[in-house]
Amino acid sequence: MEKYVSLTVSFVKRHYYPHLLLLFLFVVFSGGFVSFKGLEREQAAKVMEMYAAFTGILLFTPLFMPEQDKEIWDLERSKKMPLWKVYCIRLFLALIICFLVIMLFIGFMIRGGSTFEPFILFRGAFCEILFLGSIGFFGSAVTNQAVIGYMLAVIYFALNNGGGRYLGNFALFWMMRGEYGTWGYWLLGAAVLFVLGIIIREKIAAK
Amino acid sequence: MFGVLYLKECRQVLKSLVYYIFVVVFVFSVNSQMGGESWRALKEPQPGQVYYGRTLTKDETLIMEGTLANLMQDVYRGSFATYPLGFYRGVTLTKAERKQAEEILERCTGEKYETLEKMFEQRTFEEAVADTDFRAPVKEGFTYEEFETAMEEVCGLVGKGSFYEKANYENNIYVPMTYKQAKEEFDALCAKDLITRGYMRLFCDYAGIFLAILPIFVGVSRALCDKRAKVQQVIFSKPAAGMVIVGSRYLASLTMISIPVFVMAFLLQYPCYELAQSMGMQADFFAFLKVPCLWILPEIMVVLALSFFITEFTDSILAVFIQTAWGIGSLFGADTLVGNFGLKLVTRWNTFGQSMLYASMEKELLLNKGYYCLLTAVCIILTVIVYEKKRKKGGAAYGKICKPDR
Repeated sequence: MEKYVSLTVSFVKRHYYPHLLLLFLFVVFSGGFVSFKGLEREQAAKVMEMYAAFTGILLFTPLFMPEQDKEIWDLERSKKMPLWKVYCIRLFLALIICFLVIMLFIGFMIRGGSTFEPFILFRGAFCEILFLGSIGFFGSAVTNQAVIGYMLAVIYFALNNGGGRYLGNFALFWMMRGEYGTWGYWLLGAAVLFVLGIIIREKIAAK
Repeated sequence: MFGVLYLKECRQVLKSLVYYIFVVVFVFSVNSQMGGESWRALKEPQPGQVYYGRTLTKDETLIMEGTLANLMQDVYRGSFATYPLGFYRGVTLTKAERKQAEEILERCTGEKYETLEKMFEQRTFEEAVADTDFRAPVKEGFTYEEFETAMEEVCGLVGKGSFYEKANYENNIYVPMTYKQAKEEFDALCAKDLITRGYMRLFCDYAGIFLAILPIFVGVSRALCDKRAKVQQVIFSKPAAGMVIVGSRYLASLTMISIPVFVMAFLLQYPCYELAQSMGMQADFFAFLKVPCLWILPEIMVVLALSFFITEFTDSILAVFIQTAWGIGSLFGADTLVGNFGLKLVTRWNTFGQSMLYASMEKELLLNKGYYCLLTAVCIILTVIVYEKKRKKGGAAYGKICKPDR
């Protein structure tokens, strides 16, 4: 257990904290960009889908930052602990933070007197944000370039502004149109991309 | 030296996965947006037509009627769309604020809110049937100055970035065109824009949206390539000047990004050019070069130059966050889809034609593009300075968030 904690602390201290700082600013200044006051169901969903969605990109895309340096990657591979475990620890950390940030946004809206079903919105938003983040995660994992991870996630987000019809149940922004049933697809998509990302990365490393 | 490096950099861009993602996304996105082929409907307006299209109005009474109709609609729905920092921010008024908004409406129109509400419900039905815009009445003797004051009060209620800011409502009220206006517009499109230039402006509008963001990734990736390949020290030791290294890298990236843009412009323009020729109209064959050079090139230049500077300065991917926010902000912050360029990064012209309006705004566009060309030069000079300083100090980064690992 101590080893896992030490790994997590080291990752945050050396690589992850600038991204967490950015996320902190993103949350602190959210009031300037979106309103949390007196929102109805669809408006509250819009806040989560158009703004809070970036949480996923910010949290899950930079999880392979240390290994962008080939020497660090080689060194980590020589250690006893398998790399997939290291990635899972980071993923778990990002999941906890993501959970907290979404809770915070929902809390802001409840405090602002908005009317919506908190659990249903939380479930949808969490799965959607996870899915968007998993696209960045997968891009970074496969190419070992965080820039490509960010690029793919931002492009997917942009593509949904107008091009969502091509993406079926995996399209974003369903909730702000009153459709809350696609959370299962998002969760499935996220799970597949997270697992596939790690598997492909391990295969690449083994070559 | 410069030429050799430039060609080498071009080859490097061609080897980059980011570049290919850029090309695929750009081609797909622009193609999907330009599918409407509005130029196919190109024909001379004839007297007695039911509809001639719409045009922006500067008539004060029409502006007041249109803006008050918009206010009525927002108060009725209880929600105001605002873009304070470029991003959408829906504002819902409290009961007291809503009451105040209703009072403003009553003061401007001279009617009770309940009457206006009935009128709105009835007119929106009529609007759906007769396809005419709802217009709120303006109280007799109500001056434009009083109207401006009232709109300032509305802005006080809903916050910054709403439709009720002067720059917004004065550039957003459209009215149906008369035959005379439509004929003048058509003549201007044929004579001044030579058809294809008008079409290329529409292309630039769509392409400009994607080019505010996509080149960031190419820029960041190119500026970080030495660090990733761990050849920073080797390149620092070369006799080439910083200006030559940074300049060749920048120009190569700019060239490679511009190639798909001009190719797409040519491919999309060609059918329009052909149609104009077949109709016996004179069309500008080189519009695919002229219009994007003025409209899009400065945008790509500044986006790329800023991404080079931020990346070189911080040795990180910070530019991705800053510039994506800038690009999205500029896009969502647009107060109109046609004109009102100001110093916006994304200059919109989401229409085919409107040549007379464009002629009246051309100077503003030139100022905008000139400003971004200047900013590009400043960014490149700063990048060279940072590069040379890093070179002297052996790679120490300025403004870097974390210390370099040694």
